Amino acid sequence: MHQILSVNNLSKQYGKIHALNNVSFNVPQGCVYGILGPNGSGKTTTLGIILDILKANTGNFLWFENNPQNYKTKIGSLLETPNFYHYLSAVNNLKITQAISGRGNENDIDEVLETVNLSQRKNSKFSTYSLGMKQRLAIAAALLGNPDVLVLDEPTNGLDPVGIAEIRELIKKLAQQGKTIIMASHLLDEVEKVCTHVAILKKGNLLVNGNVNEVLANEDIVEVSATNKKTLIQILNTMSGFTKLIEEQHTIQLFYPQGTAQLDAINKYCFNNGVTLNLLTQKKKSLETKFFELTNN
Amino acid sequence: MLQLIKIEWLKIKRYPAFWWMFSIVALTYPGVNLIIGTIYNHTLVRTADKKEALSQIAKMLFGNPFEFPEAWHTTAYFSSFFISIPAILVIMLISNEYTYKTHRQNIIDGWSRQQFITAKMMDIVIISLITTIIYTFVSVSLGVYFDDGHLARWAEQLQYIPLFFIQSFAQLSIAFLLGYLIKKAFIALGVFLFYSLIVENILVSYLKWKLQTHAYKFLPFEMSDELIPVPAFAGGFGKDMRDAYEAAITAIPIQLVCTLIFTGLIWLLCYKLQEKKDL
Repeated sequence: MHQILSVNNLSKQYGKIHALNNVSFNVPQGCVYGILGPNGSGKTTTLGIILDILKANTGNFLWFENNPQNYKTKIGSLLETPNFYHYLSAVNNLKITQAISGRGNENDIDEVLETVNLSQRKNSKFSTYSLGMKQRLAIAAALLGNPDVLVLDEPTNGLDPVGIAEIRELIKKLAQQGKTIIMASHLLDEVEKVCTHVAILKKGNLLVNGNVNEVLANEDIVEVSATNKKTLIQILNTMSGFTKLIEEQHTIQLFYPQGTAQLDAINKYCFNNGVTLNLLTQKKKSLETKFFELTNN
Repeated sequence: MLQLIKIEWLKIKRYPAFWWMFSIVALTYPGVNLIIGTIYNHTLVRTADKKEALSQIAKMLFGNPFEFPEAWHTTAYFSSFFISIPAILVIMLISNEYTYKTHRQNIIDGWSRQQFITAKMMDIVIISLITTIIYTFVSVSLGVYFDDGHLARWAEQLQYIPLFFIQSFAQLSIAFLLGYLIKKAFIALGVFLFYSLIVENILVSYLKWKLQTHAYKFLPFEMSDELIPVPAFAGGFGKDMRDAYEAAITAIPIQLVCTLIFTGLIWLLCYKLQEKKDL
């Protein structure tokens, strides 16, 4: 599979502050790549560098390994804030985006404005827009001309819950169409719902990166429950194989080394010992848990 | 290049300040020249009644400064006082890009860093062309309006048209550099006006009268101001003044070379900075 983007040993300093420290990762074609991190971890700096508006102190990056010429015109991007001419309408702003990027044509402008539900206000000046509308326009600009790659920095910033759900659906739809999406966010829930790959940054250091399932699933978690919880715990404690047992409010979580949990064996053991389970399920560790685990130490 | 101009035009054509600048220049250039021309002619006519001899001398020496071919020079000189009007626009155009962060967005969307500067340079070329066209129109109109039988000599001093253009471009380039470096419109404008109207005039006087050197001719604004020297009639009488005028006219080619080099350096600096800095 082609790499859409390879980032090699990027470092960036602002005075004494190390915003990025030797960050390297690859973005394969067709993935939804989430860049995560707390505020100030270097997400926007990373995106700024790969979009040519910030200069890295060391390291390099390569877009479209086979065909890197004019890479910017093949990427729809939304970086940090919606940047438009305040005195121009949505349509006239997108005409400039269209002319500079060469993506799409005049008809596409109406189409993308329709996609983000701005058609009714398309001739209003940008300065009259609410924060959410500005964000929608920025997403429209990124979508213009249906680019193969999208770089989205906090795409749901400023949107209402309906807007957030719409954008999430849109991202899923685009991913299904085979687009490559690179997305920075601190909303873990958002990333967990749409991303196939993640990179987690903390203070400019890349802590972990790769496939979501690989990053999150280094432990198997089995959730069980039964009508009589006390008996269940007694029975489970006589069973071997798991590393940790945690009692939750209604359920019990069993932790196993990766790939060793066998649900049927657990079920059989409990049943043979006179407890009927009413819940038995294997869970992925939530991104939030993983994130706190990684960024807290 | 044409594509860059088209995109800049999309930005400018709906920008109210652009049309304000255009209107103010279109009123100021003819207005100021007409007022000065009328006053001059009135004074001449009135003194002609009382002191026939003096006015005859004046006329013999200078002709009517608003008649052809002197009209090209005279109107260029008075119009050039108002460079701060288009300079406001130039500073607004670059500081807007910073305010709206479109200086980043344009690059993200596909321009190279250099293309951004080239596009801005094209803005200034266009604005200089507009002021030059208005100036040309005013010269022609006043040359015809104040004509006293010299219409046939209209083509004699046409060099003031390109000189006016180069002067405008050079001085607006300084305005751009200030806007580009300072980023904030009001501060950049303040620096531009304070320096061009006050500081440099003090420096010129100091160098010229106190130190008696010609170094003042190489100050950023004075360098291109010298492309259009003070017209003969405004310089005063006397042999010294005549000599100074002749010297200033002869020095135009040197001033032109200096101006072109200085302006070239300004743009080179902008390109180099744009290449290196974080946007």
